[in-house]
Amino acid sequence: MALVYQDPFEQLQAELERMLDAAFGPAGPSRLYPPVNVFDAGDAYVVKAEVPGVSPDRIDIDVEDDTLTIRGERAVSEPNREAAYHRRERGSGQFRRVVRIPGRLASDEVKAEYRDGVLTVRLPKAKEARPRRVQIEAA
Amino acid sequence: MAPNELEARPKQKVERREEATRPGAYFQPAVDIFETKDELVLVADMPGVPPDGVDVDLEGDELSIEGRVRSGEYDGLKPLYVEYGVGGYYRRFTLGEMIDREGIKAQMKNGVLVLRLPKAERARARRISVDAA
Repeated sequence: MALVYQDPFEQLQAELERMLDAAFGPAGPSRLYPPVNVFDAGDAYVVKAEVPGVSPDRIDIDVEDDTLTIRGERAVSEPNREAAYHRRERGSGQFRRVVRIPGRLASDEVKAEYRDGVLTVRLPKAKEARPRRVQIEAA
Repeated sequence: MAPNELEARPKQKVERREEATRPGAYFQPAVDIFETKDELVLVADMPGVPPDGVDVDLEGDELSIEGRVRSGEYDGLKPLYVEYGVGGYYRRFTLGEMIDREGIKAQMKNGVLVLRLPKAERARARRISVDAA
């Protein structure tokens, strides 16, 4: 049997596409802003959201129980009045997104990072919800 | 819904370019394009693309932009719930104006590309004043 090397990132891309199709079909997901992806990172959940062009100080993040709320505003700079638009696809306005996390959290250890237009929130799982390795004692 | 509430615009996948050197998914970035007397300005949303991940190419009157994302930050992450695909960005435009290639400026910040394309001297709109007789 031939072994074909597949880049882990390509595997992830394919997995995301497959899950998107399975969950929403060709119509795509809802129009809630910002769109989010939720990942399991073992001892934490990781939520990523695409919010390009929003400065990090305009984003508020709250965690209460198992609910993450992302709030903010995206401003699109307007050109001067004599400019003529050829295309206008980028939206602006306020947003508020509530994401239910599928497990218990240690909410006082939540960390958020904004980089290149992507918000990444790392939510550590509650101690009792983390995967545990059980040591087997020799008799 | 309040009029100033932001709506998501589902990412549109684009077919992989024939000459693409990197495999993987590509999406069409949302853009604003506007024109002033002196320049064309293109603003493109490319979340996940670092400043050194952008290529801008102008060949004849065809402008293409490409963005590549960092892949390492997904190591060890298992997707549970998915609303958007992840990949590079690619889009091509045909420009109706002569552009001064040397004067093109690109800036990438917070996942947004701002491209300023100054019009070539002879293509600039000239203001002609008409004297009343």
